[in-house]
Amino acid sequence: MNIFLKEMKSHRKSLLFWSIGIFLMVASGMFKYESLSSSGQPMNEMLGGMPKSMLAVLGIGEFDISTATGYYGLLFIYLLLMATIHAAMLGATIIAKEERDKTTEFLFVKPVSRNRIITAKLLAAFSNILILNLVTFVSSLALVRKYSNGEVVTEDIAMTMAGMFILQLLFMVIGSSLAAGKRKSKSAASLATGVLLLTYVISVAIDLNEDIEGLKYITPFKYFEAKSVMFGGGFEPIFVLLSGVLIAALTVATFVFYKKRDLNV
Amino acid sequence: MMNVIEIKNLTKTYGKSRGISDISFSVEEGEIFGFIGPNGAGKSTTIRTLLSLIYPTSGSATIFGKDTVQFAPEIKKEIGYLPSEVFYYDNMKVKDLLNYSASFYKKDCSKRIKELAEIMDLDLNKKIDDLSLGNKKKVGIVQGLLHEPKLIILDEPTSGLDPLMQQKFFELLEEENRKGATILFSSHILTEVQRLCNRVAIIKEGKIVTVEKISTLKENTYKKFKVETKETLAPYYFNLPGVNKLEVKGNLTSFLFKGNINEVMRKIAEIEITNLWIEEPDLEEIFMHYYEKEA
Repeated sequence: MNIFLKEMKSHRKSLLFWSIGIFLMVASGMFKYESLSSSGQPMNEMLGGMPKSMLAVLGIGEFDISTATGYYGLLFIYLLLMATIHAAMLGATIIAKEERDKTTEFLFVKPVSRNRIITAKLLAAFSNILILNLVTFVSSLALVRKYSNGEVVTEDIAMTMAGMFILQLLFMVIGSSLAAGKRKSKSAASLATGVLLLTYVISVAIDLNEDIEGLKYITPFKYFEAKSVMFGGGFEPIFVLLSGVLIAALTVATFVFYKKRDLNV
Repeated sequence: MMNVIEIKNLTKTYGKSRGISDISFSVEEGEIFGFIGPNGAGKSTTIRTLLSLIYPTSGSATIFGKDTVQFAPEIKKEIGYLPSEVFYYDNMKVKDLLNYSASFYKKDCSKRIKELAEIMDLDLNKKIDDLSLGNKKKVGIVQGLLHEPKLIILDEPTSGLDPLMQQKFFELLEEENRKGATILFSSHILTEVQRLCNRVAIIKEGKIVTVEKISTLKENTYKKFKVETKETLAPYYFNLPGVNKLEVKGNLTSFLFKGNINEVMRKIAEIEITNLWIEEPDLEEIFMHYYEKEA
């Protein structure tokens, strides 16, 4: 419990900044929607003239961005990127920071097992990503509602947020297992972010080229896309299962790797 | 007497560093045991293996009769550790850090924290970032002793402490020892080990050279003599049994001596001298001594 509270306290500031960042992201995105929709230009027509590959790169795809929810679907990918980058970095640093700050000789000579230390740290990271998720949820709900002209949005947004939370968890344990397994755990955060960006690029590539659709299983960004979750009837069971298995496996890996490693002092 | 620490054929090889090979020694209950060797000899590696920060490649160790890897959390309840370099979470007050440290032990340590801070003259309300190296070391000392551990492990504990604080710290350790604590004291400075310890293990290049009582060690070591005289001495003047490396350079005669020091003093008293130096051999010379014996 003491380790958990210590971790919560030491990540307080960074969580606050991420929350402000994500709120501003939603706010500025929806503000742009307001100016676009009030300019009177038929947006769909304008977009219709653009090549499909360009739309894919921009993440616009098949959204009807003349509606608030459609526009939010477009915005969602950026929120997802932010939240997962936060999760991956948090998962890696919360494990690696004792070695980075050379505090191993303080914490690991205390009468607690490594398993208990990792449990406390992962719970703290879990709470942090949950809070960031709720902040995103509340800001999205408030701001989309403002522009949605009475359209019911709560359920759609709740679904995307649930999907986002699963991916946050997944990237958190990708980060933590890398930090636990790598001999130089300091570089785990950048490696985890690298994995994240790579899988994101793969997901864009799939949008561009339908021949490689089979790759969708290896990039989490394809698991709970807004276009399918919001407008295509919810989660696909295969992806929920796949994420669940990955999260469980990587959590176990974090514990096993960390228990066995020689700590860098 | 019960052995608090028992190390059996402990070997740790890793990465580029030398590690330790086939180390065995025991520390008895209630003794202050010195662990001495030059930097990089494997002292910290041994200690970190005892604390399960790193795991042995082969061999094993027990503390309080329990395996150090298997029962690590349990035995750490009664261990106080002061690392050679102290690093703490920034942005914390000394008080907060000590309370955080105390929160791991299931007892009330607040009274002991106050006592120790007073002895070591440590301001509890300062931020750790603002502390000097010596003051950080004091935090480390209080942190290592606040739960009144039965085994105190110190890794190069005196670096950064001024002589006055060093003195207070040694008195504190002797006090803890009187109350029953066993102490493992690692250092590369012979004098501080001589001052405190009953027995020492000497380590070099990852191997234990010898485990001796301090008293035996002293008897067996050389003293360095340097005698300045008015007139040049006959080269054979100090040619006594036990004298080694006798050198006469003008008015300066130097040699190493092992044995009853009174014999040399008598010889010195018979001549007119202008200056005299008698020095303890430094650690390197002790090692030389042990290597010569082995060869």
